[in-house]
Amino acid sequence: MSLTAVIHEQPAVPQPRQHGKPGGFLHRANVFTGLIGGIGLAVITYAVGSKLVPWGTQDADFQQVGLNALIFATLSAWVIGFMIGIGAFAGPIRWMLGHDLTHEDAEYMAGKGQGHMKYWKYTTDHKVVGMQYLIMALVLFALGGFFAMLIRTELGVTWKEVFDPNFYNSLIGTHGIVMIIAMIIVVAGPLGNFIMPLMIGARDMAFPRLNALSFWLLFAAVPPLAANLLLGGIRDGWTVYQPLGTQAPIGMLGYQVCIITFAFSTGIAGVNLITTIVTMRARGMTWNRVPIFVIGTLAAAIMGLVWFPMFQYSQILAASDRIIDTSFFIPQGGGSVWLYENLFWLLGHPEVYVIVIPVTGALLELMTVFLRKPLFSYKMAIAGFAGVVGISAVVWVHHMYMTGFAPSAGYPFMLSTELISIPFGFLVLVMLGTIWRGKVWTRLPMMAVYAMIWCKIVGGITGVYLSDVPVDQYMHGSMFVVAHFHFMLMGAGLFGAMGAIVYWFPKMTGRMFDERIGSIGFWTAFFAFQLTFMSMFVAGLQGMPRRVLQFDNAFNISNWVSTIGAYLIGAGMLIFLYAMITSWRHGKPATSNPWGAKTLDWQTQTPVPLENFPILPVVTSDPYGYGVPDPYLKVEEELARDDNETVGAR
Amino acid sequence: MSIDSQTPIDEPEVPTNRPEPTHRMKEWLSRPYVRRILLIFVILNIVIVPIAWLVVHFMELSGGPASSIMVELEKTVFVFTIVSAPLMAITASILIYSLLGWGRVTGEEPPMQESPAIRTNGIAVVAWVSATSLLATFLVIWGLMELATITSYAYGSTPANQQPNATKAIDVNVTGQQWLWTFEYPDQGKIESDVLVVPINTPLYFNVTSKDVVHNFWIVELGVKIDANPGAITNTGVTPDKLGTFNIRCAELCGLHHAYMETKIEVVTQDQFDSWLREQGGKRTI
Repeated sequence: MSLTAVIHEQPAVPQPRQHGKPGGFLHRANVFTGLIGGIGLAVITYAVGSKLVPWGTQDADFQQVGLNALIFATLSAWVIGFMIGIGAFAGPIRWMLGHDLTHEDAEYMAGKGQGHMKYWKYTTDHKVVGMQYLIMALVLFALGGFFAMLIRTELGVTWKEVFDPNFYNSLIGTHGIVMIIAMIIVVAGPLGNFIMPLMIGARDMAFPRLNALSFWLLFAAVPPLAANLLLGGIRDGWTVYQPLGTQAPIGMLGYQVCIITFAFSTGIAGVNLITTIVTMRARGMTWNRVPIFVIGTLAAAIMGLVWFPMFQYSQILAASDRIIDTSFFIPQGGGSVWLYENLFWLLGHPEVYVIVIPVTGALLELMTVFLRKPLFSYKMAIAGFAGVVGISAVVWVHHMYMTGFAPSAGYPFMLSTELISIPFGFLVLVMLGTIWRGKVWTRLPMMAVYAMIWCKIVGGITGVYLSDVPVDQYMHGSMFVVAHFHFMLMGAGLFGAMGAIVYWFPKMTGRMFDERIGSIGFWTAFFAFQLTFMSMFVAGLQGMPRRVLQFDNAFNISNWVSTIGAYLIGAGMLIFLYAMITSWRHGKPATSNPWGAKTLDWQTQTPVPLENFPILPVVTSDPYGYGVPDPYLKVEEELARDDNETVGAR
Repeated sequence: MSIDSQTPIDEPEVPTNRPEPTHRMKEWLSRPYVRRILLIFVILNIVIVPIAWLVVHFMELSGGPASSIMVELEKTVFVFTIVSAPLMAITASILIYSLLGWGRVTGEEPPMQESPAIRTNGIAVVAWVSATSLLATFLVIWGLMELATITSYAYGSTPANQQPNATKAIDVNVTGQQWLWTFEYPDQGKIESDVLVVPINTPLYFNVTSKDVVHNFWIVELGVKIDANPGAITNTGVTPDKLGTFNIRCAELCGLHHAYMETKIEVVTQDQFDSWLREQGGKRTI
């Protein structure tokens, strides 16, 4: 292999003129000015809007005329005001004023010399955005987990109603959507933003400002969702089937504003991830040398980008049914409930893979390190991801077998749904093949691999039941479904994500994760999880419908077991969180490559400097050369020092 | 294309006089770890397969099956559990063995021992892909056949009232509303009831709709389930073949009191049904 020429000296490019201090308005903007802007604009909108609204009159649905429009405008004003306040529009405005972005501006926006304040600002550095996503995901998990405890309390107390039905139904809906959002961002957010650019040897994401935009849109989307509990709740589950949604109190608008905003965030993040992976890979990183986690992120970003607009569109139409009295989904006005269900599930199913695929990629990545083995059959892993992405587009009707909207749709969609188990099987094969004959380095991230494969197999097999129309005729809408998707999303998704976060924790925080305490929490939660959801399978098989707050005495025992298990999961998660926080604050300082891994993310120093690599690396082989004396990569800096020792080898 | 080009071979150099495939298979099966994994696999199968009976037992706890449809559903669940068992067992046995058999490394530092660099294995890939594809194909074919079967049990290719035995079939108009079910017998003098009373061994044909939001009409022990949609009528049917009282539940979140939207189906003899109809002021079926 011949070395390609390295240009050390770039000819000087005339810089645009610097207007004012680097960063300009962004010096003053941070999350607090964002809150002021958001709340301020919301209050103004509410005050002005309420003068325009004809109070007192009611329309046919007994909704106050104009109230929905007013609340929708107020919540949207919060989002817009927040984005103004945090400085999201500073860039476009400067550009329109003719003030080009100078290098100093860009560095200021990436957080140079701002200390911890950069985490509270519209910072473009992918590492900052990654950390922000991580904290956001943790906050959402805490919120969703707390709701889950309340739900299980209601279901465990079988002799009376603990909560009133409106609050309980709002709880299950809010728990659902909060957890869905948290799971979507927990891997693709922190790891996709922080680790992925390092892994492909890039200095940042392709669109750093869009990166900040996607995070802060997500941040702005959450308060309207949380506000729904104060505005009367959403009481319709996270699916919010219409026309039930039109009956709900104005809290529903919080859900809709959240989803509409979150879909923008996801679309922007998706574009950014895809562009980064396609165009920003280090020299020599051909498609066959791309680490598998990057492929997983790419697959998830493609699915998110394509399918999230469906969800967004369904909520825009549903909101307009409330605000301007359209009847897209109201049968009395000629609308169709089936239209809503189709639009919703067009995202609703691929979204499961948006969650599971990056987690799978992350675990495939880390298991090679802990087994000191190359990935078994890299191409099967790619084929698995590609197959899942492709087939995921044509499976959504399996959520609607029992809706009667197309009695013959069961045949083709049963076929496609069961076919998707084949590419999923490829991924299991890759995992088992990588484990085959490997000496296991028994650290917590590797243990998460075992936990994940187990949950994936249970979730996958029960998924095959549900994909079958005759079986679904019994299981649909029962607790069996709830247990199944918790095995997929929480068992495979969350436990896998915990492993991935522990693995990259040293790189992200500069400190080692306390695995002793962390393992206690992890295994408590894992075994309690089996208890909770295995007994939920039993309740489902006995015929317990989901989303109920009272039920037949026949289901008491399995629900008591489930509730005990759920509390134990909560305890385990708290222990894990405690381990995470204490290790973050005063854990053992980490070296730059504590696991002896060969991917590029571990080859740069810890903490990662502003532009990641002093000199961009050149890749000469794939990162799975374990057991092989050959080097993975040659960093030119090393070559310049005429040091033949390669970075990849220990 | 050179993932493999730099890969050392973890086995000794393959001799030029390659042994027969059967011989290699025998050699592979004679390896201690393969034998132990197969042993764990067999044991796990013995543990997992009985779950199939357990699953069906749970489905029958409330008194079913009370129709030929439900019998088919239980059969499907049973078969699916049986055929999934080997897949689950092989996965679990590899996971278990890997923690016990191939050696474990502990400690803070990355292990110095590297594992064999198995990049891929054509036979394993082909075997796995064929096995899972065959399994999936079997499940699809089974599912399609069962779907055709239960569809014909439900209402055949023509509505019940146009079939030759139309005299025996009973139409029931099912209306869901927040939060109760109403059953109307249009051919028996339009009587209405909030409990579904039906004669045994008589085909029922349901016209399901809703007055307000989406409900789901679920007769648990009869394996009947169909959404009740506002502004549309969905159809399904069943022939109950067991006397008794069974559960009807709403299986789609329909608002505040969704949990309480349940009623009973009473499967009675023809005589009891006729007298019930007279009590209600309806007319005899036959």
